[in-house]
Amino acid sequence: MEYRLQLAKRMLFNKKGSLIGAILAVTIGILVIHVNFVIFQGLYDAFVRDIGNYNTGDILISDKEDYIEKSDLSLVNWLIRIPEVDAATPRLSSQGKAEVTIGGRIIEKTRLPVVGVDPFWDVQASGVHETVSDGQYVFSRNTMVLGSAVAEDLGGAKVGESVKLILTDRWGIEQERRFTVSGVASSPGGQGFDFSAVVHIDTLRDMLSRQGTSDSIMVRLNDPAAAAPVRDFFIRSFPNDDFIAETVEEASEESLAGFRSGIALINLIGYFGMMSSAFAIVTIQMMLVNGKTREIGVMRSIGAKRRDILIVFIFQGMIIGAIGAGAGTAAGLGYTFYAKETRMSFNDSLELEVTYNWEKISQTALLSFALTIVASLYPSYRATKLLPVEAMRTV
Amino acid sequence: MLEVSGLTKVYGEGENAVHALSGVDFVVEKGEIVLIVGSSGSGKSTLLNMIGLLDRPTEGKILLDGTDTTVLSDGGISSFRNKKLGFIFQFSNLITDLTILENVMLPLQIGGGGSEESARDLLEAVGLTDQMHKRANKVSGGQAQRAAIARGLINRPSIVLADEPTGNLDSVTSEKIVELIKSMARKLGQTFVIVTHDRQHFGDVDRIITIKDGRAVEAMEVAA
Repeated sequence: MEYRLQLAKRMLFNKKGSLIGAILAVTIGILVIHVNFVIFQGLYDAFVRDIGNYNTGDILISDKEDYIEKSDLSLVNWLIRIPEVDAATPRLSSQGKAEVTIGGRIIEKTRLPVVGVDPFWDVQASGVHETVSDGQYVFSRNTMVLGSAVAEDLGGAKVGESVKLILTDRWGIEQERRFTVSGVASSPGGQGFDFSAVVHIDTLRDMLSRQGTSDSIMVRLNDPAAAAPVRDFFIRSFPNDDFIAETVEEASEESLAGFRSGIALINLIGYFGMMSSAFAIVTIQMMLVNGKTREIGVMRSIGAKRRDILIVFIFQGMIIGAIGAGAGTAAGLGYTFYAKETRMSFNDSLELEVTYNWEKISQTALLSFALTIVASLYPSYRATKLLPVEAMRTV
Repeated sequence: MLEVSGLTKVYGEGENAVHALSGVDFVVEKGEIVLIVGSSGSGKSTLLNMIGLLDRPTEGKILLDGTDTTVLSDGGISSFRNKKLGFIFQFSNLITDLTILENVMLPLQIGGGGSEESARDLLEAVGLTDQMHKRANKVSGGQAQRAAIARGLINRPSIVLADEPTGNLDSVTSEKIVELIKSMARKLGQTFVIVTHDRQHFGDVDRIITIKDGRAVEAMEVAA
């Protein structure tokens, strides 16, 4: 073994306290970044997952002007012929008022978002139907699924009860219709339709006097990574229409932008943690250099050049960095594995979307390794500045 | 051959200047054992540090094998120390993280060559074959000093500089170390310059240089 590496290793391993301290500093720095990533990136990805699952699909098609006038049937049939597309479904939204009579008392809920869905296609393209915890999804023109929050506001409306929905059509005329509650929906983290009422899209079209229109088409892909090419293909295929096609992140940009800034801030804190580790390494390496002053003097007296001394202590930094990066990555992967296997959730509701981001994992390990070496440079340089005759006076 | 001429070392400046050495001149021929003696604070260790290129003189020249060492660069000094000089210190100054064998091999490795065999041979010569795989802090003071002697000789230097090599040892061990140094010097034809405050300990040597108040006041040939 290269004598400088051997010497670095021996000097380091004979100072177990310093070695453990330095490795722990690096390990904790990496672990903080991994934990941050699992929790906050997992939360972000969970939001994106749920927004895509309930609201936008992998691609959301809408119209620049207002409503999509083109037949939803022809659009959906065109879309599902694309190999990457699993399913597509039209949606129509409005806002209205709901009333329920319980024990002779009328309970009213105003400003209620109402979503019209196609029961046949919606279950293929979205996951909203899976959030129906009580009863079943919309299955006919006069059934309605109430979000759990809405049901509560309506005095605890239950499956089978009759709800009157009142909304204003395109001509400004108030329309009302009675629905039977077929189910109550409750989603983890409230990302689904917990605050809305879901009805059949054709019924909603009738009530709004908007026959044959939709305000969006949700497209579900078999490979979400193909979203951009499919989006571009769709836009190219309808050059004369005013369609907008957006990926889930583009469609949800407004709500995700703030989240992303938050994650960037949290990551920054993680990297500050790593910088603190680097300062700890500088301190520990300085202690190691001070503890080896006599040895440095001896080495210089028997012919070691300043460069040799520099290399010995940089090797020490590399050993600390390599072990610390390895241990930190292992600890981080252990935490990620735990989070994934236990289906860790935020606030006991929203299940985190835990992924192994190998690029980020290796980037963090390499950055930490490099930072440890950089942190070792100054103490190593200080070691080379010791005069042999002075250094050997140290006992 | 070592030639020291007009060697002066001044610490500090102006009124605070301290003349540790003032114009020291002497010559040491190849194969000689030379003692440098003097009372405490006389400047003998300073002189040895100058010869050993551990410190730079204020004035004067030190020629070793014809090379003026006072004009060498930092890198040149390191190479020169490695190839031409051997050191034996009062405290053995072994690197405690390494074994005895690794300590002896270290000058070879720093120089980028040499074999483990030569280190083993030297350790056998100083009687440490059975201790060579022990860590340096696990052997006695006498054994550590023997290892230091082997380390000082491993590169077959032009000159070995010993600074109070028995200063930290009991009288019995000291005698053994003195005998070892003298026997190695004779066996290898090795030049030794030894700083000591106790000339009696070393018995017959080739020459004794006495340093007093920073000057070489006496250069006495002892052996014929």
